Amino acid sequence: MKRIILRLIGRGIADLALDPAGTVGALCAVTLTSFLAGLFFMLLTTLDIRLSTARGESIFQIYWREGVNMELVRRQWQEYVHLPGFRSVRTYTPEQALEELGRRIGRAGGELDKSFPFLAVNAPLPATALVALSPTGPDPERWFEETLTYFRTQHGVARVTAAPLQDEFARAWKRVGNYVLWPAAVLLLLAQALSVGNTVRLAVRAKEHEIEILQLAGACNWYIRLPLAAGSAALGLAGGLCSLALLLLLQDRLGEALNFPPLSLRLHFPSARIVAALLLTQALTSALAGILAVRK
Amino acid sequence: MIRVRRLSHSFGADPVLKDVSFSLEKGDFVFLSGPSGAGKTTLLRILYAALPLQAGEVTVAGINLSRLPASRVPLLRRQVGVVFQDFKVLPRRSVEQNIALPLEIRGLAPKHIARRVMAVSRALGLQDRIRLKCGELSGGEQQRVAIARAFVVNPKVLLADEPTGNLDRELAYRLMELFKQFQAYGATVLFATHSEDLMRRHPGAYFMRLEKGRITAADWPGAGVFTGGAERIAGRDAGGRTARLYPAGRPGRAGPAFPDERLPPDGSLSADERLLPDLPRQRR
Ligand SMILES: Nc1ncnc2c1ncn2[C@@H]1O[C@H](COP(=O)(O)OP(=O)(O)O)[C@@H](O)[C@H]1O
Ligand SMILES: [Mg+2]
Repeated sequence: MKRIILRLIGRGIADLALDPAGTVGALCAVTLTSFLAGLFFMLLTTLDIRLSTARGESIFQIYWREGVNMELVRRQWQEYVHLPGFRSVRTYTPEQALEELGRRIGRAGGELDKSFPFLAVNAPLPATALVALSPTGPDPERWFEETLTYFRTQHGVARVTAAPLQDEFARAWKRVGNYVLWPAAVLLLLAQALSVGNTVRLAVRAKEHEIEILQLAGACNWYIRLPLAAGSAALGLAGGLCSLALLLLLQDRLGEALNFPPLSLRLHFPSARIVAALLLTQALTSALAGILAVRK
Repeated sequence: MIRVRRLSHSFGADPVLKDVSFSLEKGDFVFLSGPSGAGKTTLLRILYAALPLQAGEVTVAGINLSRLPASRVPLLRRQVGVVFQDFKVLPRRSVEQNIALPLEIRGLAPKHIARRVMAVSRALGLQDRIRLKCGELSGGEQQRVAIARAFVVNPKVLLADEPTGNLDRELAYRLMELFKQFQAYGATVLFATHSEDLMRRHPGAYFMRLEKGRITAADWPGAGVFTGGAERIAGRDAGGRTARLYPAGRPGRAGPAFPDERLPPDGSLSADERLLPDLPRQRR
């Protein structure tokens, strides 16, 4: 019995080679469908990770007055590291700011100096710092106001801008994220299952002639369906793996393409759990479609 | 072997078979003749349970079709070989795989299968073709593969639905010889054809004529090529009809009561002993 079952499974997979054109067509369809599903998950994951890491983080941009004592400013910068809820700090001396500006414009800072020698001398850009902090205490809004005041009242500071918005959005995402993510995932898997299932069903329908002959020769149900299920599952799994390869390629090529300000978006691969769910759905629905495609 | 009593069948409001009764014993070879549209295919399809039994009683190879659940249909199919006008072979698989199919379905060991397939393909003159794909064969060869596939399990009943309809006359005559071999091994053969020509070639054969869903004639005049046995001739009634062929509307002549045979156990081809002995080489 075990021998027969193994043989039937083997035959189902081997039979994929009987109709190479049909198999390749079905494989492409299955691959594309799961690729699209995977891509959507990838974007969703990226968004989720981005918003989760930004969660509870406010960025304060602090500008000092021109001509302020840089020694003093540097000492202030060093203190930021010890602030409660500290996450990161980026600082620019006027010279660094100039250099950064030059890079952004596309020329080396030195050349910029040569082209605009007065810039180097007069350093028109103020000293700047970007401080990212997480809220501490029970009331983030009060914390935000207090922190803002703290930076504003520091010695030599001209003005402070801050974006509480990102923080709000992140907190909003934290609230609804799970309500969006999981239904979307389920819907997506459902859509994937339906379209993959339909593709497989059509592929099996092409074998109706063979199925009829098997039935006439006295084959029982499972004898007919097992190879179809095995072949379909193999097809679904192969399609899933192909789409995974495509996604990896995509991430490799485009993963960093959007990683520049102000987007700073790095593509994240879906979690192993989601990848496994995708593959499993694919294989199971394919197998199921293979089984259900047989009409009595 | 085949008992049909008061069988009627209709597609929608369209009656196709009307009150058909007859009975065939082991070893009978009967032509089922009649113009096309008479209901021959419908009758055969009911006999191999491709159509549900609507009215009447049918027993094939000891299996009562009126009480046959869908899950038991494969058991019936294993007793009944079917050959069609359009061959129904698997074009992408080899001759060998096609013939081995019913044996594999029965779960026989590969070495028995190989032996049996070899014997049958030799008997049907297919031994040189065994590795070719069926799609590469001529129509006559494909039909021979289909016959071999029916033959290979030594069925109790063989139903043939115009199996020579797509072939030229010469080929048809040669294939007829193969069908006679079935009978020689004890199968009951019901051979549907609308070809008067084929029947004229076998003047002694039993036949049953179906017209507009009714049996209008049924006879086996004298000892023919396919006589099934002396007691059959003794059973002839005055009207030239036999005791075992019941013209429509005369179910009173049903003869023996319906035996309520139980379904045979699964794997009807229980052991190798039940396989055919080595078959004689077919002359071509
Ligand atoms: N599946 C079906 N649905 C409706 N009508 C059918 C079907 N099969 C056969 N018929 C009708 O039943 C009649 C008998 O058909 P058939 O049994 O194929 O005749 P034969 O085989 O003697 O040529 C025909 O009129 C045909 O149109
Ligand atoms: Mg017909």
